[in-house]
Amino acid sequence: MNAKPTRMAAVIRDLQKHYVLKSETVRALRGVSFDVPEGDYVAIMGPSGSGKSTLLNLLGCLDQPTHGSFLLGDEDVAQMTDDQLSTIRASRIGFVFQSYNLIAQLSVVENIEVPLYYMGNLTAQSRLRSIELASMVGLGERLDHRPAQLSGGQQQRVAIARSLVNDPYFILADEATGNLDSVTTEEILALFQRLNDEGKTIIMVTHEDEVAQHAKRVIRLRDGEIQFDKPVVDRKVFTAEQIQEIAHNADVASRSAD
Amino acid sequence: MLHFRTVKLGTKSLLLHPMRSLLTVLGIFIGVASVIWLLAIGEGISQEAQRQIEDLGAENIIIRSIKPPDESGGNIRQVNAFGVTRNECSLIGDTISTVDRVLPIRELPQKFAYTGNANAKPIDGRLVGCTAEYADVTRLVIERGHFLTSREVALSRPVCVIAARLAEKLFPSEDPLSKQIYLPEKKEYFRIVGVLKHRNATAAIGGSLAAQDFSLDIYIPITTMRVRMTDQETKRTGGSFSTQVFELSQITVQVRSADDVPRTAELVEATLRQNNPGRQDISVVVPFELLEQAKTTRLMFMMFMGLIAAISLIVGGIGIMNIMLATVTERTREIGIRRALGGKQKDIVLQFLVETITLSVVGGITGILMGLFCPIVVDISRWGLEYFAPQLYASLPEVARVMRPTIVPISIPVAFGISVIVGVFFGLYPAVRAAQLDPIEALRHE
Ligand SMILES: Nc1ncnc2c1ncn2[C@@H]1O[C@H](COP(=O)(O)OP(=O)(O)OP(=O)(O)O)[C@@H](O)[C@H]1O
Ligand SMILES: [Mg+2]
Repeated sequence: MNAKPTRMAAVIRDLQKHYVLKSETVRALRGVSFDVPEGDYVAIMGPSGSGKSTLLNLLGCLDQPTHGSFLLGDEDVAQMTDDQLSTIRASRIGFVFQSYNLIAQLSVVENIEVPLYYMGNLTAQSRLRSIELASMVGLGERLDHRPAQLSGGQQQRVAIARSLVNDPYFILADEATGNLDSVTTEEILALFQRLNDEGKTIIMVTHEDEVAQHAKRVIRLRDGEIQFDKPVVDRKVFTAEQIQEIAHNADVASRSAD
Repeated sequence: MLHFRTVKLGTKSLLLHPMRSLLTVLGIFIGVASVIWLLAIGEGISQEAQRQIEDLGAENIIIRSIKPPDESGGNIRQVNAFGVTRNECSLIGDTISTVDRVLPIRELPQKFAYTGNANAKPIDGRLVGCTAEYADVTRLVIERGHFLTSREVALSRPVCVIAARLAEKLFPSEDPLSKQIYLPEKKEYFRIVGVLKHRNATAAIGGSLAAQDFSLDIYIPITTMRVRMTDQETKRTGGSFSTQVFELSQITVQVRSADDVPRTAELVEATLRQNNPGRQDISVVVPFELLEQAKTTRLMFMMFMGLIAAISLIVGGIGIMNIMLATVTERTREIGIRRALGGKQKDIVLQFLVETITLSVVGGITGILMGLFCPIVVDISRWGLEYFAPQLYASLPEVARVMRPTIVPISIPVAFGISVIVGVFFGLYPAVRAAQLDPIEALRHE
């Protein structure tokens, strides 16, 4: 018996996803099982077409598996209706996308608040929390800016703040650094690490070994199956000073960009 | 759960494309404004028509004498009398129990001059012989003096009452009361005992009753007319003479109550045609029936106008739908993001519905405001037309010149309601389509 039992953010058992097309059935996932304990930092890797995005969509409750179960907390997502899935997405999952996916009409704070809006939780208090999150990602002085007025890195930081606003089971990041240069990638990875150090669970899909090296664990997919699932050796960790320095530089950069 | 935020967001999204939104709003704006305009103008026209009929009196029956067409080239010596007679007039009054009063009326075109102003050219007008009750039955209002009295009628006095316009023309700077008016064609003098207030003209009704303009009338006792001018009228036109003989131009029969009018009208016709069923020299006009007809016509007219307006609103609605479909395609990505971040299908439906309803309500409200300007705009354009194109203006039908557009109060909530319904109806399909997009595919959309 474990001395302190870790709670599971997600439990995946024999997850399968088939796409039925006219001429054939694409078996994008062929039975995937793993657990994600709270506080884990997982990198999902694999060649193109191996099923990474498919898996992430299932984890993000954007899609239903063809077979298998996916327990989120105590609930089996595989049995949920569309509305229930939406509720779960609004309240329990944080998304960070490769192309940021902010809403053009909305300001920085308003973008951060969107999940709360769909939870029906918009209050003066939640506004304060959104502002706090914006400051945490270094955008406290750009609350009223539109996405178009921000750089890629800044937009991605808004997206990260947004993914945190509903206090999710985990953050799902699909190629979150794919559109960013190496400096900005570091910035985002430092932010992820900081969040993970604070106890947040992160699951990210990446092509780059460099990026995956920052995670605690790598799951490698191949043809819809897990090729291996193992802890990262020689994990790259930012020191506290580095995190501060990166945050500071990003701050300076965004200020001089004005 | 319509959040203020949803409306704010909708407005923001619409303002992303101000020109596009403006044009879309314009469709509804025109539709709503035209609903109100068409109804207001339709109402104005039919009220005017109704008023003109009512001026004839709903409880009256009007019998007009009609001059038969000249078959005989005019050279003939023998002249036949035509039209209703004094006998028939008293017969109707005496034998039909539902008849309250009968008014014999005889009209002659005539020239008038003021004796105190011998140089002035005589003015063309109309001489009307009538009884004292005429003022009451036709609701004449006296400005000064008094109308012909029964005593003046009984005694065939040479007195007259003169219409407002004619009074102004004949007496630009003097008080007409007690002045003598001279009829050069008849070589008669009449003393003015009363001046009338302005009276509205009546329009022609059907083919049977010609339009009447009362502004140049002079009223004298019908008895005086008979004594001094007889029933025979001889006119010289060019070199030849033409002679007509008629006793009365018109009998106005006043019935005790409007309910008795149709029955009485039948009796009147029967009385007049008892000896000669096919006679062509009279026509019986029943304003009450015309009024009923006018009401039906009005309803048809309103429905027709409503139809036109409805079509323009549908066109506006299709405009909205078209734009919203384009918007949904354009914003597929946004829809994907919203779905990923927890938006339910109904949230997406609501979001797009709010946008279409905002568009249509803005169109509706501005359209209503524009609609309220209808009477002013009509007045201004009439004024402008009269000023810049007087001939064109004069050629307009009487109704178009005098009718006042009347905003139908119900048309405002109806127009507003319709614009909301148009928004919902034409917005629903694009909104539902947006909501049914697969979130994953929507997210992948470029
Ligand atoms: N909606 C779909 N319909 C049909 N087949 C699909 C669909 N989505 C994914 N697939 C197929 O499923 C397999 C896995 O696709 P997936 O997008 O998960 O790959 P991936 O690992 O994310 O690849 P990449 O690294 O290129 O993003 C592929 O063969 C793909 O063609
Ligand atoms: Mg992928």
